Amino acid sequence: NMALRELASLEKYLGLRKPNKYSTQGDKKTPVLQNNAAPPLLGLVTIACHLVKEAKRPELLGDSAESRAVVQQWLEYRVTKVDNCSKEDIKIILKDLNLYLHDRVFLAGNRFTVADVLMYYGLHPLIVDLTVQEKEQFTNVSRWFDHIQHHPGVRHHLPPVAVLRNRIYTSRHH
Amino acid sequence: MKLFVSEGNPHCLKVLAALEVTGVHCGVQYISHEEKVVPFLSRPSFPALLLPSGQHLFSSNAICRYFFEVNGQESNDVSNQWLEWETIVLQPVLHQALHMAVVQGKGSEVSRVLQSPLNFLDQSLSKGSMPHLTGESVSVADVILWAALYPVLSDSSLALGEHKFVRAWFDHLAAMHSCQSAAQKVLQGKAMKNYMQKQSVPQSFQCRDTQPSNSSPA
Repeated sequence: NMALRELASLEKYLGLRKPNKYSTQGDKKTPVLQNNAAPPLLGLVTIACHLVKEAKRPELLGDSAESRAVVQQWLEYRVTKVDNCSKEDIKIILKDLNLYLHDRVFLAGNRFTVADVLMYYGLHPLIVDLTVQEKEQFTNVSRWFDHIQHHPGVRHHLPPVAVLRNRIYTSRHH
Repeated sequence: MKLFVSEGNPHCLKVLAALEVTGVHCGVQYISHEEKVVPFLSRPSFPALLLPSGQHLFSSNAICRYFFEVNGQESNDVSNQWLEWETIVLQPVLHQALHMAVVQGKGSEVSRVLQSPLNFLDQSLSKGSMPHLTGESVSVADVILWAALYPVLSDSSLALGEHKFVRAWFDHLAAMHSCQSAAQKVLQGKAMKNYMQKQSVPQSFQCRDTQPSNSSPA
C-alpha cells in the first residue's frame, strides 16, 4: 500500500523512534492510524499532520496562519487532484505547478514543509514517466522535485529520478 | 485581503458561512465563474482568497481554515479528519447527487446516492455527547460539512431518509443567522442550477455501466 509506505518514510524522516500501528479501510484503502489512548485517525493528510505534531516539528505545518493554510491546500491538492489523475489531468497539474513554482523554492514559499514531502511522494510516479523533453518543459517542477528528493531523509522508499540540471535543448523548436 | 466568489457555486457557501461565523474582515467580490482569478491555475477556480501577502488560496476548505485560525480557532486532529473525509469521500458522491437532482431532475435518486456518507455522519453524531462535530462550539468542520450538505438537506423535496442526528445538527446550524445570510448570498433561486449545468458530468456516471455499485463507507 502506497499510503502506508509514505507514512513509514515520513516517520523515519521525522525521526519518530517508535513506529505506529496502521491498517487500511474500505476499497479506497484509506490509511488508519491505530492509537491505544485515543480513537483511530483516518486519512493520509490527517495522519501526516498528526505525525508532524507528534515529532514536535510544528514548523513543518507552516510558520504563520497564511503558510499553514497554503500547506493544507497543497496537501488537499495532492490527495484530491494528483492521486488517481487521468492522462489529461497530468499535463494540467504539471503546467499549473510549474507556473506556481516559478518564483518559489518550496510549495509554501521559502520554507520546506510537509506539503513538499507528500507532494513529492504523490508526484513521483508521474515524474518517473516523463520524457527528457517534458522534464525540460516543466523545468520549475523538475528543479523543485530534484531539490526535495535530495532533501536529507525524505526519499526513503523511492528510487531517485534523474533530473537534468542543465538544459540540453537550448532553444525550443517551433 | 479579498474573497472572490461566484453565484450558485456550493463551495462558495462554505467560505461565506465561515466568514460570517468568524467575523473576519475581508472584502467580497462576486464575479462570473468563467473568470480567472488565481494566476497559476489554467482553469477558473472558485472560491479564491487573495491573502495579505499577495498569495492566492484556491481551496474552499483551506480558506475556511484560514478564517477560523485568524479568529483564534486552530484546527485539530478531529477537524482535520472531517475535512479530509469531506474532500475525499463526501464531495465525489455529492457532486453526483447534485448533478442528478439539479441537472437531470432525478431528485428521487439522491437519497440512494447519499445513503452511505449520511449513515456515517449520523453514526458519528450519535456517538458524541456534544452538539457539534468536534465539541461544544461551532468549528470549521461543522461549517464546511453544513455548507457542503446545504443544497441537498435544505431541499425538502428530496425526502432524505431517517438520519435524525444529521437532521438535528443541520437544523441547529441552519438556524444561525450567519449561515442563513451566507446561503441567501450565493445559492438563491436558480443560481445553483445555472452553475451545475456548466459543470463536467461526474466521472461516476461515465463508468457506471461497467462498474455497477462501488459505493463504500468511510
